[in-house]
Amino acid sequence: MTSVRLTIRNPSGLHARPAATFVRTAGRFRSSIQVRNLTADRPAADAKSILGVMTLGVEAGHEVEITADGDDAELAIAGLREAVEAGLGESVEPAP
Amino acid sequence: MTESGVAPPLVGIVVVSHSRQLAEGVVELAGQMAGDEVALVAAGGGRDGGLGTDADAIAEAISRADRGAGVVILADLGSAILASRTAIEMLGSDGTGPVVISNGPLVEGAVVAAVQASIGQSIEEVVAAAEAASTMDKGARA
Repeated sequence: MTSVRLTIRNPSGLHARPAATFVRTAGRFRSSIQVRNLTADRPAADAKSILGVMTLGVEAGHEVEITADGDDAELAIAGLREAVEAGLGESVEPAP
Repeated sequence: MTESGVAPPLVGIVVVSHSRQLAEGVVELAGQMAGDEVALVAAGGGRDGGLGTDADAIAEAISRADRGAGVVILADLGSAILASRTAIEMLGSDGTGPVVISNGPLVEGAVVAAVQASIGQSIEEVVAAAEAASTMDKGARA
């Protein structure tokens, strides 16, 4: 089990296209991956479910915790961290 | 999929609407979300190009969307469902994977189905996600 905490910098949070990019990134890995909105304190969602990710209510500036469990968990966390930091297909302000 | 070499076929999506423009618009939107790998095919409008549904066009769309993992149909209302059933009957079981008409909402269901299909989920998982889209919290009351 591996996890990471990241701040979402997309202007509209984890909705629509960024959420889809997040899910498609998670879908590249075999591990079971959960994502939780630490800022809004909602139940965790399956990172491979677009409905789950969109209903987390992740807005710009919210912190999420991504947890991966499986034989490629380290790769999954690294891949998702990279995708989030790269803006999930959108241009975002770099982390301060 | 990246680790395992050859990717298995993805579930295809057919969008059936009485309006050609609506079906094409839903395909455009879902394609933006899901990427290029998912076969998304619009079957909108009647035989004369006006509002209506056309079982032949739907059958052709199903054939184009089928890559071996099956096809999920998202339809708008009434005769779009009936014409989809007719199209499935016309195709029979000749060389096609399973074809399922989803009870999900047209726009949200197509987007959700396309994204789930894009990560290689099974037809059962894609149908379940499309139907769960009907109760999605869009945050409008937040």
